[in-house]
Amino acid sequence: MITTGVTQRPAARPDLVLRRVGSEWVVYDSARAKAHVLNLTAAVILTYCDGTNERSSIAEAIAREVPDLDPTRIKDDIDDALRRFADEGLLQ
Amino acid sequence: MPVRRIAVAPQVLEFASDDPVAEGALAALYHAAPLSTAVPTLRYGLRRASGGTGYVATSPDRPPFGPASLGDAWAYLEWRATEDVLNAPADGGVFLHAGGVEIGSRLALIVGDSGAGKSTLVAHLMQRGHRMLGDDLVRFATADARFSAVGRSLKLDPNSLSSMPLIARTCSSATVGTLLAAGCWYVSPAAIRREWEAAPARPWAVVLLDAARRNGPSTVERTSAGEAAVFVTQKVLGAAAGGGQTRQEDVTVRLLDGLANVAAYRASGGDPAAVAAALEREVAA
Repeated sequence: MITTGVTQRPAARPDLVLRRVGSEWVVYDSARAKAHVLNLTAAVILTYCDGTNERSSIAEAIAREVPDLDPTRIKDDIDDALRRFADEGLLQ
Repeated sequence: MPVRRIAVAPQVLEFASDDPVAEGALAALYHAAPLSTAVPTLRYGLRRASGGTGYVATSPDRPPFGPASLGDAWAYLEWRATEDVLNAPADGGVFLHAGGVEIGSRLALIVGDSGAGKSTLVAHLMQRGHRMLGDDLVRFATADARFSAVGRSLKLDPNSLSSMPLIARTCSSATVGTLLAAGCWYVSPAAIRREWEAAPARPWAVVLLDAARRNGPSTVERTSAGEAAVFVTQKVLGAAAGGGQTRQEDVTVRLLDGLANVAAYRASGGDPAAVAAALEREVAA
């Protein structure tokens, strides 16, 4: 359950920069001069946070793009990622 | 007054002194860097205090330091000449608090907090025949996302020389480019190896030195490349802080591009020779 002010159609801040490093991803927040490490699932979730996708459609995308992920974990992973994005100020 | 100008591109550092002993000390700091005839961008002085008691160090935009002992004045000047290079505006790049060594044909960027052992590990790797970019200061160019060398002398704890017979001999024989000052040995890489400079390159690996476990068992283990990249990024952001947000963003994004295929290792322990050997094995593997 999302409780930290994440909207139904979450939108990442447009000024964030996402780059792959090794097998992980790093999102760079220039406004706060901070960088964060994301795993593949979190990186895919962030790319779908464009203000048009509901969590259900993000879940479908994750199932499609990260096929190794346990389907029963997808909803929890999305909730965890969105909560973290919100806590880090990465969402609009 | 004798003046020595050296190029730490794009900066030109000028060191002036009216004292032969201080002049020799100044020459040891960036001994391996190329001399320059260009207009200096950063000027430093290490002069006898009026009355002849002690020395006074001068640096850009700071009040004079001293009178103080030669060692203290030198230590102040060395600190300023490092921080100023790190913070000075530098079109097309940034300087980073890090070491770098070319192991085989692969560049390992060595990062860690102050006191983590960057200089000691770089010195061990040099002694084992590898070329370096630096032990505490390397240059990063945004145009091609490559790191390149800075001809600054290695700063080594005298105790660490006991495990480095080649470098210890270099120091004890008073080779040009070596200096014992303010409790540390400053050793020009050119005093260790004639061909000391590694070619500019993107890193193959980032080695995170763990200061908290410096005296524990020596280990080199794979770690998160993302975490390593964030560590390096934060160092660069600190270094580029004076250039404004646009420059920070440009440098950081180019840095992340340069680290796209990097491996990451976490190294710790009290035996830097063992850590150096372990890194060689990783390269060979």
